[in-house]
Amino acid sequence: MGLARALVLWCPDWPLIAIGVDPAQAAVVVASGRVVACSAAARAAGVRRGQRLRDAQRYCPDVAVHDDDPDGQARAFELVVAAMEEACPRVEVIRPGLAAVPVRGPARYYGGEGAVAATVRDAVLESGFTCAVGVADGTFAADLAARRAWDESCGDDGGQGVRVVPSASTAAFLAPHPVAVLEMPELTDVLVRLGVRTLGDLAALPGRDVLARFGADGEAAHRLAWGRQARAPATRAPGEDLGAEFEFDPPTAQSEPAVFAAKSLADRMHDNLAARGLACTRVEIEAVTADGRSRSRLWRHDGRLSGLAVAERVRWQLNAWRTSGELAAELTFLRLAPDQLVVDTGRQLTLWGRHEVDDAVARVADRLQVMLGHAAVTRPVPSGGRGPAAQVARVPWGDSTEPASQVQRPWPGRVPDPAPSVVHPEPEPVDLLDTTGVAVVVSGRSVVPEPPVRLVLGDGTELDVTGWTGPWPASERWWDARRGRRLARLQVLTDDGRAWLLLVEQGRWSAEAVYA
Amino acid sequence: MRDPSLEQAEAALADVSDRLDVRRFEESSLPALPALRPVLPGLRRGQVVTVDGVGALALALMAGPSQAGSWCAVVGVPDLGVPAASGMGCDPERMLLIDEPGERWVDVVAALLGAVDVVLVCPPARAPSPVVRRLSALARTSGSCLVVAGAWEGAMARLRVESSLWTGVGQGHGHLRGRRVRVVAEGRGAGGRSRSAWLWLPGPDGSVRPADLVAVDGERTAAGAA
Repeated sequence: MGLARALVLWCPDWPLIAIGVDPAQAAVVVASGRVVACSAAARAAGVRRGQRLRDAQRYCPDVAVHDDDPDGQARAFELVVAAMEEACPRVEVIRPGLAAVPVRGPARYYGGEGAVAATVRDAVLESGFTCAVGVADGTFAADLAARRAWDESCGDDGGQGVRVVPSASTAAFLAPHPVAVLEMPELTDVLVRLGVRTLGDLAALPGRDVLARFGADGEAAHRLAWGRQARAPATRAPGEDLGAEFEFDPPTAQSEPAVFAAKSLADRMHDNLAARGLACTRVEIEAVTADGRSRSRLWRHDGRLSGLAVAERVRWQLNAWRTSGELAAELTFLRLAPDQLVVDTGRQLTLWGRHEVDDAVARVADRLQVMLGHAAVTRPVPSGGRGPAAQVARVPWGDSTEPASQVQRPWPGRVPDPAPSVVHPEPEPVDLLDTTGVAVVVSGRSVVPEPPVRLVLGDGTELDVTGWTGPWPASERWWDARRGRRLARLQVLTDDGRAWLLLVEQGRWSAEAVYA
Repeated sequence: MRDPSLEQAEAALADVSDRLDVRRFEESSLPALPALRPVLPGLRRGQVVTVDGVGALALALMAGPSQAGSWCAVVGVPDLGVPAASGMGCDPERMLLIDEPGERWVDVVAALLGAVDVVLVCPPARAPSPVVRRLSALARTSGSCLVVAGAWEGAMARLRVESSLWTGVGQGHGHLRGRRVRVVAEGRGAGGRSRSAWLWLPGPDGSVRPADLVAVDGERTAAGAA
């Protein structure tokens, strides 16, 4: 079966565009200490997505740092979606910065896919956002086509920001892309080690063997590499309503009760789907207000979102509508409907852990997440590392609690127990001075030639050093030029009875933790 | 032979307390670490305890109930040392961290009281009286224990570290092995008078143990700990 032709519009570096950063200025958007987006200027200086903020600042010291704000991004993207909707109906938001449209109908109307793509691009450009458009079989290939279009338009040959891949050559277009574009890191790591480096290599393998070796994920990847839909479409009896709805009585003006309702609606919808062994590709969010107006928007789901993640999207959407003035009155009705059903190949939201959680605790944690955001409620998970901050990962409630690196592995250079009771999330800069008032030096051979006598905190407090020990040198990831660090730690006692764990890196001292 | 009027009165009282659903949390308390018992026999359900800042003492208070299977939540302490807490006996599996509640910390604590047994909170500023009254009342009715790092009007017990001495570090050699502290408890929850005890907080293996320092400190401590 042929896959529906799709048009994907991609706004590059959306997290930065959404907060109005000039691409010529070096800027990054950071979430939990890692770069999630960087401007063209920062990229030219060597900053990459996924880097730690500290490393990014090393490449580009004057980089402007912004916090990740998914709400704001979704709100700003509503402008882009509105511009797209002027040109074609049924816009589906994959995530802020990326949206798709089924292209078959509009292509007949405008007279060709190229014409649709150009119209959509112009509509978005006119509203003041840079973008690229790709058309291909399915959203996966169309997304890659949009990215290719962007690269071409940045190149010298002056592309138009539009790339149309004909149905017959979708597989050929996909073939040279590396498997990493599948965004299934666990699977692609193994594939690369097996010598399967491109989508073409993957497509060349027999489908049955891929399924036998890699399971449902592998099969989905194989289908994508062929330019097919990731999962086989499911048929169902017409008229069966799998959605879930909620009527607000009295109507509510705040988004919090709506989001809370959305969480239970999403759970109900997932239960409905799970009872029939189905998953949905998209979810439609529909809201009706007291003045009788109704709004709806499609969001990409792919069977991967938890109930809470759906509720988060409902919140983004409601905020976006409110900001644009489309949802002025109080909310009376909210409905979530699954769209485009596929066979659920099985994914457990949680494997271990959740079942042993107290119901009351689970309820309050969910409630707090609705109130403060998904990442605001965390559980500590022991993790491997030398520094005290690296020994614990804070995993958002409801996410899988698997440690990122092994705890039991020996970590040479680790400071012995007992552990400090106050660990700063980011080390705080301090000055550690010797008798001559100069910063204490730790030599390359881990010798401290001049002992420390005075510790000056960030707020100017001066403390006398009554004892010190160390250093514990650590050379982390010396094989990796980007993430490698060389540093040394010192335990220092001060006259106020506190003990400090100090860190020196490139001649600069900072307090990593306090034994309080 | 019992006085019939007494029986009548008892029955009436039982009837009233059933109807009011007065839950008598005073009778049950969450266990404290054995080393802490000389200063605080247990964390009574529904009471508020203060400590003098986020540190080992706050973690040690949480460790007792956590060890016994209770859930704990920590609000507004982004720099909590989780390894130190687990060294004292806290179970990280049963811990919720709300690092940055911002202005909504009161709502967060109110939501948590009742769902988890111990809530450790570090208020961003001194809490105003209405907030104190609201949260204290919530703690009382829900039967959870509220541990506040900072000042709190009407707290049942106030714990602080009075003197502390780290051992194991010289001038350029050794490593931190443990800290001997004198923990002082005051307030109604501590029996109406000030009690104190010498503790290893933490000891060389990260745990909390009594420190045999009576001889060093003299009679004053011996009398205080008795």
